[in-house]
Amino acid sequence: MRAGLMRDLGLGLIGLVLLLALPALFPHPSLRDFLIYVIAYGLLAMSLNLLVGLTGLVSFGHAAYFASGAYVFGLLMQGGAVSIPVAMLAAVGGTALLALVIGAICVRLKEIYFSFITLAFQMFIHSIILTWVDLTGGDQGLRGGIPRPPFLGIDLGDAGTLYAFCAVVFVACLLVMRQVWQSPFGYTLRMIRDNPARANFLGVDVVRMKLGVFVLAGTMASVAGIIMALFVSGAFPEFGFWTTSGEAIFMIMLGGTQVFLGPVIGAFLLQLLNHYVTIWTHHHGLVLGIVILAIVLGLRRGVADYAMAWLADRRAAAAPPATPAKAAAPAETKAAG
Amino acid sequence: MSNGANVTGRRVLLGGAAAGAAMLAMPRIAGAQAKVIRVGMPTILSGRVAILGTSSRAAVQYAFGRINEAGGLGGRTLQLVERDSKGRPDEAAKVTRDLINNDGCEIIIDGEASSGGFAVHEVVRDLPVLCIHTNSETSSLTADPKLHVKTAFRCARQGIHDAVAGGVYASGISKQRGLKRWMTCSPDYAYGRDNTAEFLEFAKMYDPAIEVVDQVWPRLFAPDYTENITKALQVKPQAMYSALWGGDLVSFIEQSNLYRLFPNVALFSSSLGDPPVLTAIKQLPAGLHTAYRYNRNYPEKPANTAFADGFTALAKHEPTNWAWQNYVAAQFIAEALKRTNGRTEGAALAAELKGMQISSGLAVEEKLTLRDTDHTLIGYPTAWGRTVPKAPFVEDFAPIPWSQILEMETQWKKQKGYA
Repeated sequence: MRAGLMRDLGLGLIGLVLLLALPALFPHPSLRDFLIYVIAYGLLAMSLNLLVGLTGLVSFGHAAYFASGAYVFGLLMQGGAVSIPVAMLAAVGGTALLALVIGAICVRLKEIYFSFITLAFQMFIHSIILTWVDLTGGDQGLRGGIPRPPFLGIDLGDAGTLYAFCAVVFVACLLVMRQVWQSPFGYTLRMIRDNPARANFLGVDVVRMKLGVFVLAGTMASVAGIIMALFVSGAFPEFGFWTTSGEAIFMIMLGGTQVFLGPVIGAFLLQLLNHYVTIWTHHHGLVLGIVILAIVLGLRRGVADYAMAWLADRRAAAAPPATPAKAAAPAETKAAG
Repeated sequence: MSNGANVTGRRVLLGGAAAGAAMLAMPRIAGAQAKVIRVGMPTILSGRVAILGTSSRAAVQYAFGRINEAGGLGGRTLQLVERDSKGRPDEAAKVTRDLINNDGCEIIIDGEASSGGFAVHEVVRDLPVLCIHTNSETSSLTADPKLHVKTAFRCARQGIHDAVAGGVYASGISKQRGLKRWMTCSPDYAYGRDNTAEFLEFAKMYDPAIEVVDQVWPRLFAPDYTENITKALQVKPQAMYSALWGGDLVSFIEQSNLYRLFPNVALFSSSLGDPPVLTAIKQLPAGLHTAYRYNRNYPEKPANTAFADGFTALAKHEPTNWAWQNYVAAQFIAEALKRTNGRTEGAALAAELKGMQISSGLAVEEKLTLRDTDHTLIGYPTAWGRTVPKAPFVEDFAPIPWSQILEMETQWKKQKGYA
């Protein structure tokens, strides 16, 4: 476990250095903007994959927590009474509480019933955003921008600093999710995904475990919402609409559910396609649909899952014939991602 | 062998990643260095309200085409670069940044609807190029001093102006015909509720005898209005105000025709006067009251007719409300560029646009003004007219004096704490 943590920390550090180096190597503001967008939506998709890929809970309402993070953070900053870190902590804490209340009801349901009740809660929150005009600005969103006063010598009003801040927060969140992914808790969630009755029989409190990961996923989604609010300097009801949840599910389908970083790869691919297709045609929905259809029908899984399986096959083909003692090893690959 | 293949695979992967990053980082066209002045337009070009973006784009293309054919501005031509925001405010912010940072656009014409307009407004606060909002009618965008951005202007009709004009017109009709029992039917979201409240506020101010007997709020993009129409038949109001727009308004009027609602109820609509709405209704009842959105016969000036003909030849449909607003914005930009001798810095163009007046076929009198105090358009048509079943679909436009609108606007600003 300790070795795994050190390895993850090392990889996280390398990833962070790469993220920070990219704008230095290619000093163009649009690359920075694009990466912040990928970071925000990648984090949303990663957090949703804790439910979909790890626990087998397909939530259709995950964007509610994305919106919650953005709105709570935006409102606190517009109030002017707190600094950015305090507003971030309050937004994350408030969203965790919201996810706890909603999750306590949702996780008792299974399969399609779970999916639909999460959707119902999301639409409920979306309606609150639209109708509580005095607080949220209604369908116009939070107007007047989100102030970014400097804290600890960090000025997020500077575009380069904002990018670096988002990259650091992103990598920190990935590390947290990675530890959960690899922890006994994570393996318990896989067991619940594969056979909840057996997990229950073995003494696992299935509802409590599901609730735990539901709250964690909501919390991580709120961080994604905060990053987006900082980037666009506002919060809008579209953040909490079902289409945003649907987009996160698309990213997971595109990237894959079983490789840890699959959803981020999906987010990158979807945003890249969206960026260039939108430039060249207004029939972007058609083009994106065809690409996604080709991937789903051609690969029959996400890109990262497909690549991982392809690499595993190549390694297996290249390796000397397995001895009976080693024959059981491939069974671990599914969880290794 | 397999090791070699692995190494090759990694190299290909790394090479691909580097090429991808380079592609992302490379600006498509170095617009700033060219003779062309690139003007970016984030707008909605897909989905239910795509006509907002497509007609805005056509209007600017028509205006730029005429300027370029006449030799451009000091040898420089104008080029429009549009991007589809899909109606998402975060996407609007992103594409606006892309237009400025990646596509070399030196000026932004913001063709977004309201929420997207606010997102673009915040981008321009960060990246201070000249921005003219052309489709957002939300008054606070320019009226609220807390939202003020030095290089941002609005060249569009405004909610408060329409509310005053509607109140004056409706109260005149209500007094004349004794319409005391009123009902409203507006979409259930912030614009619908705010617009309706402001209309009623001014209508009651000018005719205190007006009594609102019921209000119904169908959801936005609802396909069926039977429930609301039957409620109106039960309540039996003498007049009805509606802030429904676009396809919703078309559905509402066509379904109301089935119940013969309008021979008994006088309808006042804020959005019926848009040519695409008027032409989409199969049997347009005569005598419905509507605010001016666009009409080739009003203002009755050759320049307006020329704009209508030119736009229709390009877009293959009559101009929309959004079209004339974007056309006028393009004219303001061209005039500002003339005065700066082609300099495109946001501050320089903004200094010229503050208080600028241009002669226009779309002005009620002679000139349109971008007011210097709050960077918003005044002097545009706010008249109300009545429908007729055939083209030009709306006639008998009754102009509302701008002096009256401005007086009430000043009071409204004081109430809101904006002045």
